[in-house]
Amino acid sequence: MPEASSLHSLFTVAWRLMWRDWRGGELRLLFFALVLAVTSVTGIALFTDRLERALLLESANMLAADRVLHSPEPPPAEINAEAVRRGFRTASTLSFTSMAFSDTGNMLVAAKAVSDAYPLRGEVITTMEPFTRGAPVGHGPPPGEVWLESRVLPALDLAVGDRVFVGETELTLGAVIIAEPDRGQGGIVDNAGPRLMLHMDDVAATNVIQLGSRVSYRSLFSHDDFDRLDEFEQWVRDRFEGNYYIRDVREESEEVAEALDRAEGYLLLGSLFAVLLAGLAIALGARRYSERHYDYVAILKTLGCTSRRISSIYLLIQLQLAAMAVLLGSGLGYLVHEGILRALRASLQVDLPPPGAQPYLVGAMTAFVCLLAFALPPLLALRETPPLRVLRKDLTQTRFSDRIPYAFGIAGSIFLILWYSQDLVLTSLLVLGVAGTGLLLSLVSLLFLASSGSAGMKAGNAWKLAMTAVRRRRRQNVLQVMVFAVTIMSLLILGLLRTDLIADWQAQLPEDTPNLFMMNVTGAQVQDIEAFFAENEVDANAFYPLVSARVRTVNGADPEPAEEALDGEGGGSLLENNQLEPADTADAAAGSGESADGEGRRVRGRLSRRQVTWSNELPPDNRITLGEWWGDASRPGFVSIDEEYADWLDLEIGDILEFEINQQFVSAEIASFRSVRWDNMQPNFFIIFSPGTIDHLGATFLSTVRLETGQKLLLNDLIRQFPTIVVVEIDALIEQIQTIISQVTSALELIFALVLVAGALVLLACVSASLDERFHENAILRTLGAGRKLILSSLLIEFSFIGAVAGVIATLGAEGGLFYLQEQVFEQEFQLHYWVWLAGPALGTAIIAALGINSTRKVVHTSPLTVLRRVI
Amino acid sequence: MIRTSGLTKRVSTSEGELTILEDVDLHIENGERVAIVGASGSGKSTLLGLMAGLDTATSGEIWLHGRQLSAMDEEQRALLRAQAVGFVFQTFQLLPSLTALENVMLPIELKGDAGAGAGEKARGLLDRVGLADRWHHYPNQLSGGEQQRVAIARAFATNAPILFADEPTGNLDTATGGKVIDILFELNREFDTTLVLVTHDERLAHQCDRMIKLAAGRIAGEESSVEAVHA
Repeated sequence: MPEASSLHSLFTVAWRLMWRDWRGGELRLLFFALVLAVTSVTGIALFTDRLERALLLESANMLAADRVLHSPEPPPAEINAEAVRRGFRTASTLSFTSMAFSDTGNMLVAAKAVSDAYPLRGEVITTMEPFTRGAPVGHGPPPGEVWLESRVLPALDLAVGDRVFVGETELTLGAVIIAEPDRGQGGIVDNAGPRLMLHMDDVAATNVIQLGSRVSYRSLFSHDDFDRLDEFEQWVRDRFEGNYYIRDVREESEEVAEALDRAEGYLLLGSLFAVLLAGLAIALGARRYSERHYDYVAILKTLGCTSRRISSIYLLIQLQLAAMAVLLGSGLGYLVHEGILRALRASLQVDLPPPGAQPYLVGAMTAFVCLLAFALPPLLALRETPPLRVLRKDLTQTRFSDRIPYAFGIAGSIFLILWYSQDLVLTSLLVLGVAGTGLLLSLVSLLFLASSGSAGMKAGNAWKLAMTAVRRRRRQNVLQVMVFAVTIMSLLILGLLRTDLIADWQAQLPEDTPNLFMMNVTGAQVQDIEAFFAENEVDANAFYPLVSARVRTVNGADPEPAEEALDGEGGGSLLENNQLEPADTADAAAGSGESADGEGRRVRGRLSRRQVTWSNELPPDNRITLGEWWGDASRPGFVSIDEEYADWLDLEIGDILEFEINQQFVSAEIASFRSVRWDNMQPNFFIIFSPGTIDHLGATFLSTVRLETGQKLLLNDLIRQFPTIVVVEIDALIEQIQTIISQVTSALELIFALVLVAGALVLLACVSASLDERFHENAILRTLGAGRKLILSSLLIEFSFIGAVAGVIATLGAEGGLFYLQEQVFEQEFQLHYWVWLAGPALGTAIIAALGINSTRKVVHTSPLTVLRRVI
Repeated sequence: MIRTSGLTKRVSTSEGELTILEDVDLHIENGERVAIVGASGSGKSTLLGLMAGLDTATSGEIWLHGRQLSAMDEEQRALLRAQAVGFVFQTFQLLPSLTALENVMLPIELKGDAGAGAGEKARGLLDRVGLADRWHHYPNQLSGGEQQRVAIARAFATNAPILFADEPTGNLDTATGGKVIDILFELNREFDTTLVLVTHDERLAHQCDRMIKLAAGRIAGEESSVEAVHA
């Protein structure tokens, strides 16, 4: 026969079969599963793509730019020129401490000069009256003007329009600053006092900046194409061989990095579960479709259709189906994500950039990969159906092992997860999770097998009828239990993880988080400051002694760090990032949180001088991981080390460290390792000595306090009474972090809701997949006189039993999965969720029973004759 | 046209090997109408399946349309079926999702003819079996007799020279079965096909030229039909 004609006829047959199968409802489940896959993956990908961009943009507001370069001296002009050449928007700021004078007084201020284009991201909020709500403006002060923070105005008896003297120049107070986007960034230079903002062109006239002045230059860069930002970052790194670094918000703020990293991890996990659930639905749909097509294929073969043509026909059907599913699913995915965004517009409060093409591509690819892995193997196995089946219905294909489709599905899942996550850890976790579930299911299967000794349907009693049905259909039931368990497990993991992450974030920044750090406090001032706060009814926190120390030797030898490439370049710490002398700095870093790249950001500078302390009490949020904390029974000569720091220096309990402190050498034995929560906005230390070890070497003190908005004027009195102390306000940083966390929390809720819907649909698909046999069997039972009540009751019991078993397995899997995820991926402390051990099985029972009964109501409402006539 | 020699079929069961057909030799000429009769379990349908190339023998030879089936793989046997064989089954074996017309067109399309000719020919055949006005109906909208008539039309759609029929009236009442058989024989004469009919209905078998009796997997006898001779 002619080739073209043959191809044409192949297409015709494939199209006709597909169309007729569609009309007959045969393909609906498979198609629906494919659409579900594309919809959920495209929807989540669109949502995460846009949300991630939005969160990055929002986070970028914290920098007033997308990328920033810090330097203690003017950066090379070549960097700015290259940025302009690449089409970037640029701006610059210069921070320094200075005195602001009015006609009646003076005050130490954190001055910041800005160029015309400042800020590149976010807005400066100004007002004409201090302590009032302001309005956003897209720029800094013009030349000749100065803007001041509210509390400076009463302190210097100023009003807008008055003269302000900075250094040798006179400027006009043009506005009151309520907020600036990057207020929380920078070091002590930026936070050592209330803000004074002026134009860059006025700096020279002030004559404040002299050789050796403590200044901080920041070059700001912005571009809408994130890839180009990364390229530029790399260019700077390569061109200046590590002497200059361009940083993004993650490197600038550990807390934001933490929140974003965790949110991304969660969104990714949500997407993976959606893919996995969709894959399950497709596998179920394809399996049901192929089972219902054994007879088709036998007839086609009888009519002379070769196995190769059978494969071609079913491949064409699937490709046509996938193409339609991609079109429909992409559209639905867009609508789903758009609908969610609309519903959330109020709480998100972020202008979302338009979506790119990538999410659609991801959705389409997912559909085809899912099809290839989950649907094609059972469908292609149809080619092995013996034509003799037209005479003997009991014959099915025998050459193609039942396990092969599973092998394809598993391989496909692994590929999808790896491709989608680009993360080997997550992939291995999910694979292990599935393997564990498989093992559990084998045990359940054995349980079914062991109790299948009795004969007959036991149709006289609903309970016995249901249990007999469970045993008889144990193979299908095991598959159903697996699908139910994996789905419920996914939902439990995502639900519990979401709850734990949110609780963790809330614990990170509780209501009473201190918003003020006081440093450079002398021992003599401690009592006076405590008295000052007591007098003004403010709860003061403990004072920590601070000494600048450097590790000199470990067991008498030079320390051998694993890596010390970036020493001295500063990290994510607010306080480490300043340009002051080490004695002024502290690890007590608001902002030196755990980094996503593990040893990365916080490691920098470990062998340089660190601020160390001594204490009898273990600081809050610290946990001893090895050794013992000395407590009240402490003796001099011991030291406790942060566990990451210990890892990095390969330290062990009992090692002797020698420190250089104020040009004196002190040795101490390592008594314990601690885990430190760096993101809790509290003083934290890498190194803590036992009291009596370094007390004699002189120290300054550090403390924190929370001042409510109405108490902020006390700051002026505090600074006036104790002019030598350094006060750093971190309200802006806290507020920005809270905003980001609130948005990330909304995103988490949404993804969970989306996966919840996907999970429910898979459950429904799974129940539908088992309908055929139940229909037929119950039609026969009804023909033989069984009542509707008996059948409905037995179905209810059967589905409840399956749901309960699935719930137990899901709970086990969820706790196991959570343990791994929280300990290894999200760096949280895992705790058993006791209530889930009751709720999981109960949830499984309730959901599966409800879905099962809802889907099988037709079994008792369709006439037995109609059901029996459907059977070929 | 169809010849078997020493044809044996054994299957493995949980209770050991079971012989379904043993040493069957038979010869069917072109255009001949042969009925294979026997009690349930005598091996009639197995013999039909083997002769039509739907199954493979344990031993022995089968020649169909001049080709030795035992030397062919399933793909080659499928091509031979497409070229030379038509079927009518007791359970009709229509594709439920296709209309009557599409069911009849299917073998024509599978042979590579997807043009307008397929539709015309299928309509002509449906007209021939008395279903001209039911072509757009699905199998579940047709009675058993009507479904079997669609199956007969499908069997003749590709002008196959050999027609195998397995209990074609087994699912029908006597009157309907009679009408279906009339149509089958009518088209058989018209298309001059070789007909191999498996039935346990001796009255029906007597309408064929020859009747081969099977018992316990062996040929137990053979006789020419008087009725057929007089036809």
